[in-house]
Amino acid sequence: MFPLHYPVAILMFLVGVYCLLYRRNLIKMVIGLVLLTDGVHLFLVSVGYNIRNVENPIPPILTERWLDSIPEFAAQSVDPLPQVLVLTSIVIDISIVALALSLVIYIYNKYGTLNPHEIRELRG
Amino acid sequence: MMWFAARISEHLPIFAVAIPLLGGFVTPLIGILGERWSSIKAVDYFALIIAVLTFLTMIPLARGVIGGGEIFVYELAGRIPPWGISLAVDGLSILAGLIAAGITLAVVIFSIGFMKKEEGLDKYYLLLLIMCAGMIGISFTADIFNLYVFFEIMSISSYALVAYYRTGRSLEGSFKYLIMGTIGTVSILWGIAIVYGAVGTLNIADLSVRLVAVSEIAAGVPLSIIFALALFVAGFGLKIGMVPLHAWLPDAYQAAPAPISAVLAGGTTVVGVAALLRVTYLLFDALAIGYMFIGLGLITMVIGSFIALVQEDLKRLLAYSGISQMGYILLGVGLGGLGGIGVSEAILGFEGGMFHLLNNAIYKPLLFLCAGAVIYRVGTSNMEEIGGLAKKMPVTAATFLIGVLALAGIPPLNGFASKWLIYVTGVQVNQPILTVIAVVVSGLTLAYLLKAFTMVFLGPVPAKFENVGKVPVSLQIPMLALAALCIVFGILPGLGLELVGPAWEPLFDHVPYVEAVLGGVIP
Repeated sequence: MFPLHYPVAILMFLVGVYCLLYRRNLIKMVIGLVLLTDGVHLFLVSVGYNIRNVENPIPPILTERWLDSIPEFAAQSVDPLPQVLVLTSIVIDISIVALALSLVIYIYNKYGTLNPHEIRELRG
Repeated sequence: MMWFAARISEHLPIFAVAIPLLGGFVTPLIGILGERWSSIKAVDYFALIIAVLTFLTMIPLARGVIGGGEIFVYELAGRIPPWGISLAVDGLSILAGLIAAGITLAVVIFSIGFMKKEEGLDKYYLLLLIMCAGMIGISFTADIFNLYVFFEIMSISSYALVAYYRTGRSLEGSFKYLIMGTIGTVSILWGIAIVYGAVGTLNIADLSVRLVAVSEIAAGVPLSIIFALALFVAGFGLKIGMVPLHAWLPDAYQAAPAPISAVLAGGTTVVGVAALLRVTYLLFDALAIGYMFIGLGLITMVIGSFIALVQEDLKRLLAYSGISQMGYILLGVGLGGLGGIGVSEAILGFEGGMFHLLNNAIYKPLLFLCAGAVIYRVGTSNMEEIGGLAKKMPVTAATFLIGVLALAGIPPLNGFASKWLIYVTGVQVNQPILTVIAVVVSGLTLAYLLKAFTMVFLGPVPAKFENVGKVPVSLQIPMLALAALCIVFGILPGLGLELVGPAWEPLFDHVPYVEAVLGGVIP
């Protein structure tokens, strides 16, 4: 089967970039930022899924069924490390989004608009 | 007591990260207690103690690495590399760590006077100390994902600090910085995903060994690895304000409180360069990174200084000149990494680049702190409005002049010593055109900085600033200390070269670092 997750991950990244470049609303820009990061998260998880090049990978959970055949389990299971990395990265992403949204609230209170083209004091 | 000291010294690398991190989170608590016992200064002094302690942990490490040529490896939770996270302190790490801790210390002292009219100081110091922990973590870690995490810790706290005043400008600068910075860190994460997919390890030393093996098996560097290199360069380059990824930098520097601009200019950019060099030279040595850095360095240097010429705001001008100085550093290390040249030329180039990195971390914060002192007294950094402050603020004027001359590369100040090394390397590798460009840009630097000095400190005093007084002592101490360092490293460049000596070694020869981290066993 053609691995569909890589194109989807890259597509998500590109949609995020598009959002950041062409949307004229700060909230939508934050959504773009989330899409962009999640595209990379999907990519990272897919790397863990495909890294061993096995046909039907299994979750990396050692159940009793596998106790007799540890080597097969090791060869068949997906790499758990990228999943852990993505979890860490998601937590970091949450704090970025929280900070971004709080900035948006302050900007809205100050200017009464969310259009980035109307908020331009810094130039040059 | 001896036993205790020995225990402590074993764990110094983790203390260097943990002290500012935990100290930062205790600061709000101290703020609450201080309010209850009505001692307003408690937070400031607590932050000062933490900053001093952090700097003190660096000193034994620096003595071991720079004096003894050792590489300290600290395995977190006793996991053996390449499986666990480990901290490795070599020359490059300790240079970046010393700079980060030193600037944090200077800035905390400066902030005691500078920020005293502001509210929410406990949060300010919290973010500042966490940023310091992030910077030291980036310098010390030997795990590439851990590097990304520390990078985010540093970045998020700096986004929040830029928005500290919550005026229109600072919110706008901070939001711009947040968007651009996140794109940068995400591209670093993507790069990590690609190299992990290629070799299945996260330890930097292990990656260095295995990526070379991958290129050998494939008889050439695979396209995905080149893409990963591009992502890393874009990500770290964004943080150090490399042209064409610099758009956020002047806005953020202008909008941030002056001490924070100093940390951004002297701290985060320096650790950004250290991380960039560590990752590119250790992981992607098979590619022609030297040419890439020379190209990027030249563009950064020229464009930064041309835009700086037309600025009217002092902090914005300094921000663009900071971009331009990053170009010199990249040019120096790029010349050193140029394949097919003699060993002595390569060493000269690396030495010049790293020495300039150190010098830049001295005079750039100095200039931003002077700008801060001006803002503290007159309330604006628009150069059109101010003038003649030399009579009113002699210490600020003198230290600013030292910073200006050092930055422009006038002997006998430190900027001259490092720029000279870069010029000489350019000639020795038969690329005199690079030297010519660097010298011309240096002239431009002198021009715009002298323009700034004249506008701010010379000429008639505007009527509304007749009553401007001198700046308080706590603002003067860090300025005088940094100015003194400019002179010391200028008169005794050997001292500076000794300090940066071990810093370029990991770029030139990976084997000691790899062996130290992997415990002598190369898989």
